[in-house]
Amino acid sequence: MSPKDTQAWTDLQSHAYYMSQSHISTLFQESPDRFSQFGFAQDDLLLDLSKQRITDETLSLLIKLAKERDLKGWTEDLFNGKHINDSEDRPALHTALRTPKGDKLEVDGVEIIEEVHQNLERMDAIVNKIHSGQWRGYTGHSINTVVNIGVGGSDLGPFMACKALSENQPAEARALKVHFVSSMDGSQLADLLSHLNPARTLFVISSKSFTTIDTLANANTAKEWLKASSNEASESVLVARHFIGVSASPDKALSWGIPESNQLAFWDWTGGRYSMWSTIGLPIALKLGAKGFREVLAGAHAMDCHFRDTPFEQNLPVLIAMIGIWNINFLNINAHAILPYDGRLSHIPAYLEQLEMESNGKSVTRDGKATDYSTCPILWGEVGTNAQHAFYQLLHQGTESVMCDFIVAARRYHDTDNAELQHQHQLNLANCLAQSRILALGDSVIEGAEDAPVYKRYKGNQPCTTILLDELTPYTFGQLIAMYEHKVFVQSVIWDINPFDQWGVELGKKVATTLLEALGPEAATSDFDSSTQGLLQHIAMRNQ
Amino acid sequence: MKITVWGNELPAWTSAAALAESGNHVQIVTGLDHSGNKNEIAFKVSNEPGLQQCLDQAIADNRLVSVTADEGQTASSHIICLNPDEYSTAKEIVQSLAKYQQNNLLIINQSNFGVGSTDKLQLLLDEQNNQVMAYLPDMLAEGSALKDFKHPETLIVGCSNDWAMLNIKALMRPFSQSLKQWMIMSPKEAEFTKFANTGMLALRLGYINELANLADQLDVDIEVIREGMISDPRIGPHYLHPGCGFGGLHFQQYIEGLSELMEEARNSKLLDTVLVENEKQKEQPFRKLWRHYQCDLKDRTVTIWGLSFKPGTASIDNAPSLKTIETLLAQGCKIMVHDPEASKNIAQYFGDNEQLEIVDCCYQALQNSDGLLLLTEWPEYWSPEYDEMLNRMRSPLIVDGRNIFDKEMLQSLGFTYYGVGR
Repeated sequence: MSPKDTQAWTDLQSHAYYMSQSHISTLFQESPDRFSQFGFAQDDLLLDLSKQRITDETLSLLIKLAKERDLKGWTEDLFNGKHINDSEDRPALHTALRTPKGDKLEVDGVEIIEEVHQNLERMDAIVNKIHSGQWRGYTGHSINTVVNIGVGGSDLGPFMACKALSENQPAEARALKVHFVSSMDGSQLADLLSHLNPARTLFVISSKSFTTIDTLANANTAKEWLKASSNEASESVLVARHFIGVSASPDKALSWGIPESNQLAFWDWTGGRYSMWSTIGLPIALKLGAKGFREVLAGAHAMDCHFRDTPFEQNLPVLIAMIGIWNINFLNINAHAILPYDGRLSHIPAYLEQLEMESNGKSVTRDGKATDYSTCPILWGEVGTNAQHAFYQLLHQGTESVMCDFIVAARRYHDTDNAELQHQHQLNLANCLAQSRILALGDSVIEGAEDAPVYKRYKGNQPCTTILLDELTPYTFGQLIAMYEHKVFVQSVIWDINPFDQWGVELGKKVATTLLEALGPEAATSDFDSSTQGLLQHIAMRNQ
Repeated sequence: MKITVWGNELPAWTSAAALAESGNHVQIVTGLDHSGNKNEIAFKVSNEPGLQQCLDQAIADNRLVSVTADEGQTASSHIICLNPDEYSTAKEIVQSLAKYQQNNLLIINQSNFGVGSTDKLQLLLDEQNNQVMAYLPDMLAEGSALKDFKHPETLIVGCSNDWAMLNIKALMRPFSQSLKQWMIMSPKEAEFTKFANTGMLALRLGYINELANLADQLDVDIEVIREGMISDPRIGPHYLHPGCGFGGLHFQQYIEGLSELMEEARNSKLLDTVLVENEKQKEQPFRKLWRHYQCDLKDRTVTIWGLSFKPGTASIDNAPSLKTIETLLAQGCKIMVHDPEASKNIAQYFGDNEQLEIVDCCYQALQNSDGLLLLTEWPEYWSPEYDEMLNRMRSPLIVDGRNIFDKEMLQSLGFTYYGVGR
């Protein structure tokens, strides 16, 4: 059944007709105590929805919609390992990756929680060996640099987490440098290799399929670099001492040359963009230590329990998801800005771009019909205080409606005696609160704004959510990311789409293969469109 | 003379022993515990040749007694030999002495608190009434501490007060008979000189090791280069033996102190680099073995000869053997070790570990061995019975961390030989 056929959808449409005329500033005037109505907390995380264009009635209708879409049933299917990724006929069990040791979950006749923890323990052993300086390279020197080679889900999550939590490094991890390389053109890698010491560098090749061309191209470049720097060690020795493979396809990793002892496994039921909780998180564990990584998992698990067990009315992922549905499907807002007010979270926009747009950027329902409603909006973002000097102009005075997520930590630098940094945090908080206030309420927040010339006016009414962490720790970070994962899942249930496949990224890979041939000498180009032919000829001419 | 020595490490006990032996009445205060408890000796006297006997004799003759801090105040001459991190204890001692002994109080600082610290302690005293701090750097090398104290060639004294200088000369008279010169300077200059000397030695060791590693890569013999170098009178032979790193507690502490000072005051990494490279150098023998066996040592049996940080001492402080054993354990080796003096200390350091076996006979340690790492150049290792070695070893491989063996001869006997820079 299409979501549009539910009673709640119809009711929401009529409600939206009335609400679309209203302004957030008016809602505050009518109900000054909106924060206590629309502020929701779980553990160390607070969600403020009061600057959304909603009333009590909006929320109750949205919750009715979630119920009519059987969100509860779908959630249980998700956690229980039903094959809800139907186009690939497998479960999506990222929640199992953070389930505590000792719990049980049988999927397709196999007990998986124990297996998950066996893999984590194998990863711990590798992390400890590297941290203790006992992972040795081909010269016998200890490894002091790790380069993660991966792309998409094998890059964005670990990259974001390492940046976000670098202040939480334990002493034994501080001597280790962790770098990330993803781009297919080799520019990141070439830049890095020029100043790394091959004898002390370890490459982590992360690829679920171990066929990802971007990753393998970089891995080959890394291998050749190592070979060129060592004339004494054989290729098999170099690979054994300088490469770790993280993959769900151990055979492919082995045939590339990575021995079983250097492999970490995960499973095909772990989607790439949901995989940082698995051994794909090795760089995170290298940065935070095994204990720190477990704290990230514990935070995510706490959010899982909250999502699974809390009534929708108080359920953070459900609420933030349904607010999205409201904005997208009933207020027709198709742009979503992610605005972390914290330099440590600078990579969260890129991460959420993949999580949300690769999951829900679809227009076909689970039973193969075209959707006749909008799905995932366009997401982008930047560290808020930097974006204030860039695209906030459009948010404040442009023609597009944009919903905004402000993410900020209440406390920072409180355990230092650096007054300057403490002051910078106050400045940052002040800006975060100021911007969401103006975006939502417009220039009504100051006296006499109506006397200003029209080009100095701020219309406001951009719906804003504030996510306030007590402080950014491995635990709250885990909570935050798991909240977004479940938000994406909830929206997929409403829209009746499968969020766990990504068929839209396949064709490009195939066509690139044919074009690779076409770029070779004397290749025939007549099969291509005239634009592609023209470009190929121009490239050939420039390379002569 | 009645003298109180404050401290509980090698320099304190060495000063106490030597001063008592030459007829002084020496009291030693090993801790500032006002309850009257006396601490255990903090370092292993047995590591230091001759010291135990000298102390036993002094105690038997009643010239050396261990006393509480309150009793310790009663002397008019004091020597403070504390650890680098015990400056605040030194301050406490000086403050209480200043109150107790209001004139003619001599306090000799023999601790490594850094440049300028003796002057800072002097500020707690009243020089007008002859309350004076002086600095007498300890010139002790572990393994020959007592000898070094009793027969110095040069005495550097940091002291700017004539009365104090007179007393110091009297105190040191028994040890200054064959002295070539007294070097008298300000306490700050003396502290700097001590630092500068230690740093110079570390730089020479760091430099020759760096050259040796380069020689390895360029396939030349560092011994030939070294002989060429020392034939230049401007360079001379001292502290130019390449090897698998220096250790010991004392030397390392001085260099670390100087390195921190250079980094703080000058933003200079010069000595820090020496220290970092020295730590790597300690694993040089391991690395040669590692490469010999294509980077896989799992289940190999490895022998180590020499565990103390240098010959003539049982001390394993910062010894290359510690890192080497840790690394071999992590790589899954079985390790058999031998040392004439330091075995007990190693057994204590590593505890029970089924991968590690400590044996009394150096040849027994070679049974079925895949390689011998020589880490300390004890005299008894210099001319071993090669046939016995060949019979016992599974693979006749020697990694000579101190360049004590004749490379050509070993090779002609059928050994595979790796040295440092050769």
